[in-house]
Amino acid sequence: MASDPQYPAVTATIEKIGRATASAVEEIGNGGALIFESLYWLVMGRRLRQPVRLPSIFAQMMEIGINAIPIVALMAATIGVMLAIQGIHTLRIFGAETRVTIGIALSITREFAPLITGILVAGRSGSALAARIGTMKINQEIDALYVMGINPVRFLVVPALLSTVVMVPCLTFFSDIVGLFAAGLYVNAELGISMAAYFDEVREILTPDHLMHGLSKSAIFAVLIAVIGVVNGAAVAGGAEGVGRVTTRAVVQSISAIVVTDMIFAFVVTR
Amino acid sequence: MKHQIKENDGALVIALEGDVDLKTSPDARKILLDAVGRNLPIVVDLSGVQYIDSSGVASLIEAFQKARKTGRKFVLAAVSDSALRVLNLARMDKVFAICSNVAEGLAKVR
Amino acid sequence: MNPNINPDHKLIEVENLVTHYGSRLILKDVSMDVREGEIMVIMGGSGSGKSTLLRHLMALERQTSGTIRILGEDVVRLGTRELVELRMKTGVAFQGGALFSSMTVGENIMLPLYEHTDLDRTTMEIMARMKLEVVNLAGFENLMPSELSGGMIKRAAMARAIVMDPKILFCDEPSAGLDPVVSSALDELILRLRDAMRMSIVVVTHELESVFKIADRVTVLDQGRILFIGTLDELRASPSERIQNLLSRRADDTDLDADAYLTRLTGESVSGTANL
Repeated sequence: MASDPQYPAVTATIEKIGRATASAVEEIGNGGALIFESLYWLVMGRRLRQPVRLPSIFAQMMEIGINAIPIVALMAATIGVMLAIQGIHTLRIFGAETRVTIGIALSITREFAPLITGILVAGRSGSALAARIGTMKINQEIDALYVMGINPVRFLVVPALLSTVVMVPCLTFFSDIVGLFAAGLYVNAELGISMAAYFDEVREILTPDHLMHGLSKSAIFAVLIAVIGVVNGAAVAGGAEGVGRVTTRAVVQSISAIVVTDMIFAFVVTR
Repeated sequence: MKHQIKENDGALVIALEGDVDLKTSPDARKILLDAVGRNLPIVVDLSGVQYIDSSGVASLIEAFQKARKTGRKFVLAAVSDSALRVLNLARMDKVFAICSNVAEGLAKVR
Repeated sequence: MNPNINPDHKLIEVENLVTHYGSRLILKDVSMDVREGEIMVIMGGSGSGKSTLLRHLMALERQTSGTIRILGEDVVRLGTRELVELRMKTGVAFQGGALFSSMTVGENIMLPLYEHTDLDRTTMEIMARMKLEVVNLAGFENLMPSELSGGMIKRAAMARAIVMDPKILFCDEPSAGLDPVVSSALDELILRLRDAMRMSIVVVTHELESVFKIADRVTVLDQGRILFIGTLDELRASPSERIQNLLSRRADDTDLDADAYLTRLTGESVSGTANL
């Protein structure tokens, strides 16, 4: 069809779109299959005498979580202050600037903390995961696992998945605190509301389900980051340059997935 | 791991029976190390062992070294041809005293 | 040759193997076997399918049709646990070594033991050191793979491949990227493994020196088909011009199509064969 002389450009474009969609669906399918296989190994591993290994999980958690604390703190503080600035500025129009706290508290815990943390971890750890798996694939290390009778999903994916699912919500909670605190500092400086009063109001506003909304989203983001990182890494082709390519793809795809999921979540939950 | 331990005039004779491989060598290791812990000279009777793999050899090595540390003699006896080949590959013929039967082994450790 | 080896016992049997990569036909009706205690070298030019054949022998690929039996088992019929049991009896030394860069050499070698057995840590360490002695890398267990030279990496990979005393060892291009001295030492190691550990060893290589040194039997592939299977002596005595070219490393001119050749070089085709 693409070689149809009548409409060469049009059919070629349609074919391209079709192929891209088909391969995207295939990748989503691969990702889904990976999640199921990971869950399988998590549950069944001990029975089949191939349990998941703790030291490697611990090391990954350190890298994903602890080492990200500085940058997450910086970003959370910045966003917190930004929200306070914008909130006060806007509410001043109605003379309602002292009501800014509710806006800040809800935006941070429900949206900004999970979103920014997710994006940061995607950039740091999602790319690292894709690069690691891509490099291993090129060096035949994945093949080596197979021929040694070691299942790569259990050996590589499950630890990564566990690490992100534990660490990303922790980091999100951490950025909740830092963001709220930084915003509070600005509110205090600009409006003269005491930190104690500010935090009292925050505690009143923040019912557990606001926090859970943000934290459960962050857990989903964590799964997306890990799975997209792995699927892209495993799809590597073509040497060192290929690793660079799949790393970039992993970051772009996971950030896009995070943002889209965020919107879907917001839509579904507020129905 | 099927085994028999007999005391013979101040020395221990440990007879192992069956294959010493990845599945059974942990047992063999425990038997040997416990025996070495009794601080007596040891003769390991391997007449009942047809097949021994690297894990089995590793267990023998570990027990032997432990015996050396306590100053006790540790010899192998009645090693089958197939087992001997595996030991020779790991150059154990240069390390262990290998006797053709238990009596010779007992004589050696006294 | 060792006594107690049954030369008729086939450890690997390949029957009418046909396999594709996507829509491309790679292996066309390949049948061969690997016998107890022998070194079987698989040779062929690029595009001959030798790497694909090796991957099938290692049970890393699924064939389109035909049967592959490894140690008597039809690989496609095995369940997960049975496949793992089979994998414990085979070892693979990959072309680049494929050592895991986050672990020491010792940890790499112990990995199959760690994952598949209940052995005590001390036992595993002694076994790893024993294998390091066999491959002449004694004392290297605490180094990281990045600290090793190319030849050492290959030897460490072999140590990992043989840690569970497998019956079959696969070596993918053992000499690739090595200078002749190191390559020769590696050949010696392969011979030693066959003799002392009574392993069957399948080697894919294109280095003729190695072939002449280590092969018991040779399988020559050409464009996905078997060109020759037999002993080294039979290979040397083969009347086939193609094989003799292969052995003397002459450029293979047996079926050079002059017209097609000129067309390829100039990018212009001429109808008919004109003045050739």
